[in-house]
Amino acid sequence: MLRKFIREPLVHFLGGALLIFAFFWTTGTGRDPADYSIIIDETDIDRLTTDWERNFRRAPTQQELDGLIDQEIAEEIYYREALRLGLDKDDPVIRRRLFKKMQFIESENSEEIAPTDAILQQWMDSHPANYSLSSIYDFEQIYLGQISTAEAADIIEQLKQGARPATFAKPLSLPVALDHATSEEISRQFGDRFAGQLAGLEPGVWSGPVPSGFGLHAVKITAKKPGKVAALDEVRQRVTNDWSAAQRITQKEKALDRYRPQYEITIAGRP
Amino acid sequence: MRKSLMWAACMAALAISACSENDDSDESGAQVTNTEYPEQVFWGDTHLHTDNSIDAFGFGNRLDAEAALRFARGEEVTATKGAKAKLSRPLDFLVIADHSDAMGATKAIMEAPRIALLTNKFLLRWHDMMNESEEGSLRVTGELIDGAAKGTLPASLTDPEETRDRTADLWEKHGETVDQYNEPGKFTAFMGFEYTSMPDGDNLHRVVMFRDSPKKMGDTIPFGALGEQNPERLWAYMAAYEKNTGGKVLAIPHNSNVSNGRMFAMNKFDGSPIDAAYVKTRALREPIVEVTQIKGDSEAHPFLSPNDEFADFGVAGWDKCNLSCTRDMQPESYGGSYVREALKRGLELTLSVGANPFKFGMIGSTDSHTSLATADENNFFGKHSGNEANNRGRVMAPQNLGTREGRFGWHYLSSGYAAVWATSNTREAIFDAMMRREVYATTGPRMQVRFFGGFDFTAEDTADLVKTGYTKGVPMGGDLKGGDGEAPQFLISALMDPESASLDRIQVIKGWVDATGKSQEKIYNVSWSNADARKLGANGKLAPVPNTVDLTKGTWDNATGAPELVTFWQDPDFNAAQNAFYYVRVLEIPTPTWPVYDALKFSLTLPEEVIKIQQERAYSSPIWYTPSA
Repeated sequence: MLRKFIREPLVHFLGGALLIFAFFWTTGTGRDPADYSIIIDETDIDRLTTDWERNFRRAPTQQELDGLIDQEIAEEIYYREALRLGLDKDDPVIRRRLFKKMQFIESENSEEIAPTDAILQQWMDSHPANYSLSSIYDFEQIYLGQISTAEAADIIEQLKQGARPATFAKPLSLPVALDHATSEEISRQFGDRFAGQLAGLEPGVWSGPVPSGFGLHAVKITAKKPGKVAALDEVRQRVTNDWSAAQRITQKEKALDRYRPQYEITIAGRP
Repeated sequence: MRKSLMWAACMAALAISACSENDDSDESGAQVTNTEYPEQVFWGDTHLHTDNSIDAFGFGNRLDAEAALRFARGEEVTATKGAKAKLSRPLDFLVIADHSDAMGATKAIMEAPRIALLTNKFLLRWHDMMNESEEGSLRVTGELIDGAAKGTLPASLTDPEETRDRTADLWEKHGETVDQYNEPGKFTAFMGFEYTSMPDGDNLHRVVMFRDSPKKMGDTIPFGALGEQNPERLWAYMAAYEKNTGGKVLAIPHNSNVSNGRMFAMNKFDGSPIDAAYVKTRALREPIVEVTQIKGDSEAHPFLSPNDEFADFGVAGWDKCNLSCTRDMQPESYGGSYVREALKRGLELTLSVGANPFKFGMIGSTDSHTSLATADENNFFGKHSGNEANNRGRVMAPQNLGTREGRFGWHYLSSGYAAVWATSNTREAIFDAMMRREVYATTGPRMQVRFFGGFDFTAEDTADLVKTGYTKGVPMGGDLKGGDGEAPQFLISALMDPESASLDRIQVIKGWVDATGKSQEKIYNVSWSNADARKLGANGKLAPVPNTVDLTKGTWDNATGAPELVTFWQDPDFNAAQNAFYYVRVLEIPTPTWPVYDALKFSLTLPEEVIKIQQERAYSSPIWYTPSA
């Protein structure tokens, strides 16, 4: 733990700050010598050389390298003087840049953990509608064509009296019966409008007319297994994805919440 | 904290470091049963861009691959510009196909710490412009596209060596997301990218899609087109991929309509004549083409097919100049730009070279750059995030490329989808169906189209069309086998999309090579609605179906069309000595275009020239006939 603590860059940073503070405190000067020292070390020279090579496809000459170093020093001096003058304040580009940096660090700060079954189950329990399995139907249907509702109702009446379905069926290459079909499977073949109406039909008898994009249908539900909430194993992949996505959003909100309470925010016109 | 600093360091290093963490997650163990023959048609988009595409991000798209996958699965997401977006029906599969060149670069340039870019004045300028304002971001995108077309982009964006690590890192992360959302049997997420070759602005783009899991793909990364504009280089990359991994990959050419005649040219990229080796490779690597999408429809052109009164669909605005509008296109070049003509050229080349380089099936897709795979006219989210559904001015907005040529917002189509007859909804089954071309294109509606060819069919076989089709013949994409000189017969059915419009007609489009070696085409109306009243004229033409569109409401009357058309058809003009192909075109009754819905939503008055009514359609893959030697 201590070793980890010692290696932590933040600790180095704070340690350095303490030293600087100690320096001022002991010397009593108002000028931080660290602020006025510029060291161009081997790493900096390597970086300048590499960047040059990337742009020009060859190593810089000594003269060119000297030029790069001079430029680096000039930039650093002006950069620091600009900071001293406060030129970084109220600059929309810098402000936005720092906002992005902070947001990025915060988002990467949050460790992704693998959710346990208990966590996933809890997530499912709090979002039951997202993981409910639709009712499962066995049904027969005959396509009546694009006829009037009254005509269709009359046919359905005859079917109820025992008339043969084949007498009224118009050809359409959709199944005349489906077994064990979920509402998604029914929608796929008959469209949403048709699938949405099955729940309201009385099982065991011919009923309708049920409209679809094709026209009107007579439908007889022969078996219906009511919908239920899925078991975790049936929808595990989806639940894991949803939970992870939600985690990322809450972590973003939480990150801001860590700082926000420290600020007293006043908005004109709002109490 | 440690992790965050490491990531900050990775960002600083941008193009240099490899910061990925290894993940040895196993492949999905789920077993899905395949049906005996393809019973279901699966709907998908093979061509969707997310914020990893340089232009998509530059145009403002801030939705990532995960959002794209969730949306395709039917969930509601918030589009970049704030509108809620949801598909009326989920898709079954999705190929995210971001541009391979400088993949993720605009995002990286914008988000990189400024200090990392200080020495590259190109990137630094773009970084500042992008961070400054939205207009700046759009200007950068314009410069990027321009730079890509002219080959003046900085090496740090284009040099494969310099971008390799960044791409590998991004690609690995992308693979994890794709795998997370790939659910065999329910929803298929494919790995893929777009190879964006455009010499002088002539569009030679291909979507590349993999059959394999990211794990099997190993350290494969997308193949860039900058410096590698010759598609033969892409095919070599594909061959190497298959050899190295044991995997499978295919390429899908698209937007031949803005290729200035080069997509289906009669010679190779370098101008030399097509030879047997080229034919073999091309046919193997490119089994399907994307015939219809947001930037127009490439099936046919009225100049090439003057007797086809439906050849002008999705042509307006796209046939005057190439992709970047740096070159005007002359009608003489159209032959290499449109798919029907390419199929005909393929027959001619079969005779002259011995095999057919253009023996492909057809699909539609979106090419949407918003991460939203929408294809319905009343749910159109635009080409890029600047043109999303809440942009009131998008119908008449001039396009950054081609305004001079009169290319405006309304020229965009609301794009199409790929329909695949597969034995299950898995990567393997869908990919294999594409390889055997058992696929078709639609301009958005999900009509179900079956098309079988053979020599033993009878008119009664329509009663059990699918089963008979498979047992006595071949499905779309296949080759007619056997026959003793008699004309081939076809079983054809089209079932309307129950959420869209009813059907006007089915047509068979035949191409063949005549005795002089020249290819010909003919269109047969083979089944249509209200057949009692509508009769074929002496010229084979059929009276148009009545237009019932009410522009003030955006409605139409399905009673004028047929819910389903089923037919048996035998070629009346067959010559057993002539190479031929047959494909099916299904037309819906007239319906409103997306600008009409925009006009209703925003109370706009549309100018005369805006196309307001269209007949949406499906194109099947062809069935080919080759005379026996």
